[in-house]
Amino acid sequence: MTANSPQLWEKVIDKVRTWARLNSIWAVHFNSGSCNGCDIEILATLTPRYDVERLGIKLHGSPRHADVLIVTGPVTRQARERLIRTYEQMPEPKFVVSVGSCSISGGVFEGCYNVGGSVDEVIPVDVYIPGCPPRPEAIIDGIIQLLADLQGGKPRPVVRPNVAAELPS
Amino acid sequence: MNTLASFFTILIYPAGLTLILFGMFYEWIDRKLVARFQNRAGPRWFQPFADAVKLLAKEQIQPGIVNPYLFFALPIVAIAGASTAALYVPLMGFTPPSSFSGDLIVTLYLLSLPTMCVGLAGWNTSSRFSLIGATRALTQLFAYEAPFMLALLGPALVAGSWQIGEINEYAQTRWLILSQPIGFIVALIGLMGKLELPPFDAPEAETEIVAGALTEYSGRGLMMFKIGKSIELVVGLTLVSAFYLGGLSGIGSFLLKSVALLFLMSVMQTLFTRFRIDQTVGLWWRFGAILVLAQIVVIILWKGYMP
Repeated sequence: MTANSPQLWEKVIDKVRTWARLNSIWAVHFNSGSCNGCDIEILATLTPRYDVERLGIKLHGSPRHADVLIVTGPVTRQARERLIRTYEQMPEPKFVVSVGSCSISGGVFEGCYNVGGSVDEVIPVDVYIPGCPPRPEAIIDGIIQLLADLQGGKPRPVVRPNVAAELPS
Repeated sequence: MNTLASFFTILIYPAGLTLILFGMFYEWIDRKLVARFQNRAGPRWFQPFADAVKLLAKEQIQPGIVNPYLFFALPIVAIAGASTAALYVPLMGFTPPSSFSGDLIVTLYLLSLPTMCVGLAGWNTSSRFSLIGATRALTQLFAYEAPFMLALLGPALVAGSWQIGEINEYAQTRWLILSQPIGFIVALIGLMGKLELPPFDAPEAETEIVAGALTEYSGRGLMMFKIGKSIELVVGLTLVSAFYLGGLSGIGSFLLKSVALLFLMSVMQTLFTRFRIDQTVGLWWRFGAILVLAQIVVIILWKGYMP
């Protein structure tokens, strides 16, 4: 065996690790300037009707416990630093799901004096869930897509250049 | 040979692997029952195991301000305390692997070790949420510890022994829940307080203080605290069902009685909303402690007059 090709036990451990990550997703919810529409839909996703606990998804309060950061809304100038800080507080491996049209492009808030832009201009985003607001089914589907990407070993996104700093103050 | 046997005792049965797996199994039963009461499908059977493996594989962030030795030692002490307590209880209905006169007191102290570790961990990480959580956890410890201890004292007084194994044998001849119903209720609710289950989850109330004392813990440390709590759940259920529900004589009676107790606890978790910390303390000292004390006085008088 050469040093580069993984040993059998390494493959097995990798499989178990991926399986555990797929089946236990703890999320933390961050509102970076949303109108609250998407937040209500996220809360609806957690209600008994949709019951995401059957997929192993749980909402946690502390970013230190979380695997997935669910961001809603455009990133306002005030929320930008907090968003970065929350992201940095999460332990690796971490994933970001951006929910709603505003978090993808700025939506109706695009060009506002206090809005810096979309979420992926600040932190790397794994899954985009469009909609204004997206239905709970769409949010669950987005998370399932994140799981599928994880399983296929899709390359992670890289941080894009920060344009928020270039906006006139 | 003796070393091998002790290694087996510590790593496989009754401490170690068996205990961890049992703890996860019981945690799943609890979560599933609560989910069913809320009209949900609930988690799948391997959920606690997947959670534990995932947390093990995650990064452990050490906040800059903490004392690193304490930060890494506390989860280990918590899990060790809970597993050591398992050595003295009739787990799965077998005779306890280790036993001496007065092991009831030692077990109770070992069982409160995880809570003290959580309190210290909250103080050590010194985030504002973990500090409030730690204060609440320790306040709650002072509230439920004495009534819980008094509630387990009743069977010990009746059996005339401080040895858990002997009390278990005595309890097999009669169901002490019939003669000491107050003690049973206080012990059951005390166990819920010990495990910080919903009516008494003010120390980790996630709607107010993020995640309580464990806010800054991630990865391995968090997983060890969680597993320590699951082990505490199994040991506590074993203790209460051995003392009050007619003793544990085998695996069948162990599973039946402890799961019945767990069912009762899940019902109460679903029924009640969270108490404020002052309500918790008031409940224990105004009602729990006094009722149990009255019962103990009655037991002592009864034993004195009718030997």
